[in-house]
Amino acid sequence: MGSRSARTDTGPVRRVGIVAVWLLVAFNIGVLLWMLLAALREHTAIFREPWGLSSLGRFGNFVKAWSDSHFGQAALNTVVLVVASSVVVVAVSAPASYVLAKTKTRISGAMAVFFALGIGIPVQVIVIPLFVMMQDAGLVNSLGGLFVLYVALSVPFTVFLLIGFFGSLPEEIEEAAAIDGAGALRTFVQIVLPVARNGLITALILNLISLWNETFIALVFIQDSGKQTLSLALLGFLQTQQYSGSDYGALFAGVSILVLPMLALYVWLGRRIIEGLTVGAVK
Amino acid sequence: MAEVAYVNASRIFSGNPPVRAVDQLQLDVADGEFLVLVGPSGSGKSTALRMLAGLEDVDEGAIEIGGKDVTNVPPKGRDIAMVFQSYALYPHMTVAENMGFALKLRGVAKAQIKEQVAEAAKMLDLTKYLDRKPKALSGGQRQRVAMGRAIVREPSVFLMDEPLSNLDAKLRVETRANIAALQQRLGTTTIYVTHDQVEAMTMGHRVAVLKDGLLQQCDTPRALYDHPANAFVAGFIGSPAMNLKTVPLTAEGAKLDGIVVPLSRAALDKASGESLGEVTFGIRPEALALVSSEEQGMNMTVELVEELGADALVHGAVKIGEGTERFVVRVDGRTPPTLGQQVKVAVRDTTEIHLFHPESGDRLEA
Repeated sequence: MGSRSARTDTGPVRRVGIVAVWLLVAFNIGVLLWMLLAALREHTAIFREPWGLSSLGRFGNFVKAWSDSHFGQAALNTVVLVVASSVVVVAVSAPASYVLAKTKTRISGAMAVFFALGIGIPVQVIVIPLFVMMQDAGLVNSLGGLFVLYVALSVPFTVFLLIGFFGSLPEEIEEAAAIDGAGALRTFVQIVLPVARNGLITALILNLISLWNETFIALVFIQDSGKQTLSLALLGFLQTQQYSGSDYGALFAGVSILVLPMLALYVWLGRRIIEGLTVGAVK
Repeated sequence: MAEVAYVNASRIFSGNPPVRAVDQLQLDVADGEFLVLVGPSGSGKSTALRMLAGLEDVDEGAIEIGGKDVTNVPPKGRDIAMVFQSYALYPHMTVAENMGFALKLRGVAKAQIKEQVAEAAKMLDLTKYLDRKPKALSGGQRQRVAMGRAIVREPSVFLMDEPLSNLDAKLRVETRANIAALQQRLGTTTIYVTHDQVEAMTMGHRVAVLKDGLLQQCDTPRALYDHPANAFVAGFIGSPAMNLKTVPLTAEGAKLDGIVVPLSRAALDKASGESLGEVTFGIRPEALALVSSEEQGMNMTVELVEELGADALVHGAVKIGEGTERFVVRVDGRTPPTLGQQVKVAVRDTTEIHLFHPESGDRLEA
């Protein structure tokens, strides 16, 4: 007990930090809870007493949000698009980052920097040239075009993340495979990929989350309501309320539909994400 | 099984100036021999092993296995197996899969793999653990799996890169004996890298001592101990280390406080031929003995007594020329001197004295 507390309580800075972290966590949970509760309440009741619990139990809000703005089609679009893009991003980035992480030539170093630069370019800056290019290719207002953009724009971060991850894997395992008689491709597929599983899952989840929440590019490149993603559908729902009268209960229900799947993903795989991000930090 | 030869093999790491990690290594290992490469860290011993494995390029010279030049052959074409310091087990495979992986890649039939794995597992007492993943094993068990993975393939050469350094002291001693016995039984040529000179002495048929990429000496453990080729080998082999001191030379021999230690004619001739005023004088702690105050001997003030049980190591200061030097004497553990005591120390046998060139470190007598 004595030694344990001596190790964990390392001073006032740490104690303040712990309090700050818990305040932040409490705030986030509070906001989330409030949103979930509001999603089950009636519009006027939310405004009358924002912190109250009256009229709780209006599951009809979810039905309204779902049916009023084509959430069904949008959800299907989003799931297919986001899952496909995330899987393809990781599938494309993994071999690239493995090679960049393991070859120590001047070119590989320069290419790694080149990928890292991609992270720093704001998408707003390149959206117009992208639009022109995509239009020439006939890929505007198509989910296929959005898929191409999502993959292309997610590669830099994913490669950057995975270079760090592959770099932290012990080289001796690959050398053991080489001595056992495995070629480069077999070593990558049968040894490196399984060993790197946590890192790949982390990359996959981070892509799933960021693409699930992506609004800007979808807004620019998708025009048909039938091709909307969930975030666009929510935006559309907000806009229709300007004409049909606002219903904050239904609006929060819509937001919940967007947020809850990602929350579930975090709850399910959150530990994996942390492990994947901190691997190599502690031996 | 095969013999191994380094033919003036060098590995040069680029830099400014370039580092010759292994420099013109010339070494022949006989078929079935257990050769230990030993040296301090940075001596190039691991690099030399990795060159043989094909994991490191050979920049000059050649490497031969079984009489064939394999300098440009990739690792899988060399018919070798390697045990790594970290064991490098495949974490997602079971013990059996780890051990059978190489056979599987070679296209050996499943039943045959199973049989060979079972046989190796039995030899290493791993049968119970064949279905476990490496992370569910203790350090010693993992070490044995790494050994098993090497044995199953029946390679012509075993390479081992400090395979015991992650084990605790007791297990290390035990495993040391097991590996030596296993090698004896299999009769496979083995190159073993270690920084631990006790491991080197106890395991190797011959021991090659490296320093700064250069081979210092390669001989049987006994010969290394009795006739080190230079001051570095003399100081590196043996624990506690040999007393190596620069002492003034007189016509009769080496001058220490209180005595002049007579030296062999050959050594004196050689020293006078190069007109050396002093030499590096080496004597092992057990070749020194405490004597009574009436007898001839050098005066020493006891500064530290390390009791080891059977023996005790007495560290003390001896005046040499202007300054003082510290000597270590191995004495009977039952009657060690006390701290601060003045004792007399004599050389047990003058044939146990080693003389080296004070600058080059080379041995002075034949």
